[in-house]
Amino acid sequence: MNAILERLAGVAQNPYEYVKAWKQEHGGRAVGTLPMHCPAEVIHAAGVLPVVLQELADPITSGGGAFFPFFCGYTRSLVDQATEGKLDFLDAISFTDHCVQLLSAADVMRIARPQIRIHFHQLIAALDEACSLENSVGILHSMATDLEETLGVTITEDDLRASIRLFNENRQLIRSIYDMRRSGSIRLRATQMQHIVKSSMIMDKQEHNALLRELLPQLQQAGKPPRDALPMYASGHLCHAPRPEILDLIEDCGIAIIDDDLYHGYRYVSTDVDESIGDPILGIATAYLNKNDNAPCPTRLAPHTDWNIWLRDKVTECGAKGLIVLLAKYCEPHYFHYPRIKATFESNNIPHLLIETEHEGIAMENLRTKVESFAEITKRRQ
Amino acid sequence: MSAVTEKEPVVKKANRLQVTKLNNKMVNQYWEDLFHAKEQGKLVCWTEGIQINPILQAADIAWCHGEAAAALMAARKESAVPQAHMETLGYDRELCSYARTHIGCGILNQSSTVEAQTLLDVDGRTLGSKIPPPDMIISAYPFCSTGQQWDNEVYRTYGKKVPIFNMSLSWTWGNKPSAKYMSGPEYRENVAFLKKQLQDCIRFIEGITGKPYDWDRLTEIMTYTKKAAELRLEAMQLCKARPSPASFFEWTNSIAPVNFLPGGPEIVDYFAQKKAEIEARIAQGVGSVPVEKYRLWWDGIMNWNKIGWLSDKFAGYDACMVAGRYTHMGFWQEPQVIDVRDPLDGMAQNYLTCPISISAPQVIEKIIEHCEFYEIDGLILHAARTCRAFSYPQFMIADAVGKRLGLPVAMFEGDMVDETFYKDEIVNSRVEAMLEAIDASRARMR
Repeated sequence: MNAILERLAGVAQNPYEYVKAWKQEHGGRAVGTLPMHCPAEVIHAAGVLPVVLQELADPITSGGGAFFPFFCGYTRSLVDQATEGKLDFLDAISFTDHCVQLLSAADVMRIARPQIRIHFHQLIAALDEACSLENSVGILHSMATDLEETLGVTITEDDLRASIRLFNENRQLIRSIYDMRRSGSIRLRATQMQHIVKSSMIMDKQEHNALLRELLPQLQQAGKPPRDALPMYASGHLCHAPRPEILDLIEDCGIAIIDDDLYHGYRYVSTDVDESIGDPILGIATAYLNKNDNAPCPTRLAPHTDWNIWLRDKVTECGAKGLIVLLAKYCEPHYFHYPRIKATFESNNIPHLLIETEHEGIAMENLRTKVESFAEITKRRQ
Repeated sequence: MSAVTEKEPVVKKANRLQVTKLNNKMVNQYWEDLFHAKEQGKLVCWTEGIQINPILQAADIAWCHGEAAAALMAARKESAVPQAHMETLGYDRELCSYARTHIGCGILNQSSTVEAQTLLDVDGRTLGSKIPPPDMIISAYPFCSTGQQWDNEVYRTYGKKVPIFNMSLSWTWGNKPSAKYMSGPEYRENVAFLKKQLQDCIRFIEGITGKPYDWDRLTEIMTYTKKAAELRLEAMQLCKARPSPASFFEWTNSIAPVNFLPGGPEIVDYFAQKKAEIEARIAQGVGSVPVEKYRLWWDGIMNWNKIGWLSDKFAGYDACMVAGRYTHMGFWQEPQVIDVRDPLDGMAQNYLTCPISISAPQVIEKIIEHCEFYEIDGLILHAARTCRAFSYPQFMIADAVGKRLGLPVAMFEGDMVDETFYKDEIVNSRVEAMLEAIDASRARMR
């Protein structure tokens, strides 16, 4: 078990090294994607390795001369990666998310690094409109066509179906780990869970699935751990992963994160594509529009979904005693929703703690005091 | 005690156009009409982003444009209260300040507590306290996802009980060789999609009013709007003259007629008068600033708290801010494509070519065109802290104009309606450094 987890952690910690090695080993090509809704199945169906580009912990250097410091850490890191030439191993970038900061970063990246072909196909953010499905289908077709032209390949419906099957299996395997973790039958630290999900964003899905299939029985055999820590739900941190040291600090304060809706967590695997839908592009578009029911996203517009209410119910269902909101500084969609989440948890008397993170890091000892106090308060309220 | 008498510094002020008073009168009348719209039996729509007001006007619906409301509150020094209230509720001050001001008013207006009403209704005169609540919301924001989320927040602030129509404006990425400004398959697809959504929006409006849409009225309104836009562009281009008869600040003061005022003969007459005053100034050799030593470009959205103040500040530097991205590249900036008999396609084209609807490569080309046309000496890049949509390409703009035109730039942070982000001494030192660079460059040329 530890060997597999270490392998996944290694990929999560050095994502681009894995991709470079994979390209060399397979003689294949890699296409970067940007979070959070780009259907990587379409890229995979082109016969290349889709890679969700990650925030790197490296300090922002040359990128700081190309992009303002009041953008989120993820986009600043992306621009820096491009200006530093750290993304030159990619054969293209393809993304679909309409986020002003993400689009801004991509626009800067393509000027800073014109040798990397960057495609943007805007998936409609308004999920409930009459035109949403038709538009999404059209956009996904354009995305596939552009990939075909750039890569000189043909994407068939069978290619898409095979990719969908592979990705569905991956999501199901990770969700089954979530189920076990939520029920208390296994104990995985939040950092280990992050490594599992983050490595899935990077690795060849076949290889990842094989590792997960091996890992699952080993996790079960490891037995039920004592549940002496305070169970907690972690929410937020869109687009990029919260730093492992923050998750470790939280859990070192007597807390166990048992469930989450983090992008580098449950959000990434929340929704499968319905394989019974004959047209695979229609299936992917439908999954995109339905995904918000399984993990409400503040970057999408879905009037019938309330993230704050959904979160309250999820926290209660999983048996967590409270909520930790991880908010990346300058993330405007999250800023819009946080006050509503705060109000809902206060009115339902469920403890919650806001932790704002920054690319440059945060004062960890201050955070420790904050988390310890939060844990104490939560225990007293029980 | 020394008997030396210090000489009073010469204070130079911008030479403001007389016609601006007419603009202010029209703006005041618009807000008065909006405040009393419900008494007149009108429905009220809250909207942000592109200028969909002609569509609403044709259906006899009153409208509150969120940015316009926030900007006017800032200009009247009334924006701090709703912003502070939002912060107490947990809304971070790094969020779009337009949104914080507008939503803050919505929240305070809904609250019947004495505290809320006292906060909002300082002296019983504030704009925020008089804006009628929405009967519908239409979200139509170009490029900026925050704009859509702002409307979503307004929708939730009103308990999800007010009908909302979400328009999605596609950003023309323009990566293919076929992609040019206002042409290419990607652009045409995006125009077609927006046109379809405008048609859907009109059906949404019909559903609420229960009346068939008055397309003839839209044609009439767009005829006035198109004519006003043409006159505005003609008048702007006259400012190529030396000294420039009007400044960017004068065009900022005249945004309302091409942004949210009703389309009618008044806006045509306004720009006709403005053009005539500009022509008269050219004939008399009168400039917008007392001494025009430098001709500058303002890049970025306006700092609404400080229009008059900035106008005088640059006049004091003998600098005329001749043109800018905000004013010269937006607000019915391409009127020639509007067929008033069938206006939706042309309207969509204008919406999709506003300065945040086009991506950086095209923005840079357009800015270079303008800088060459107006014979600009340097660029002021106002990085609006909470308008990331406007600010993000500024490093690329600075680089491009430096390399291609040899122009110096001065970059500083500020904001649209949150004046706490503005640091005056930083502005002074950077502007002075840039003007010195222009002087040095001129000296080398001699």
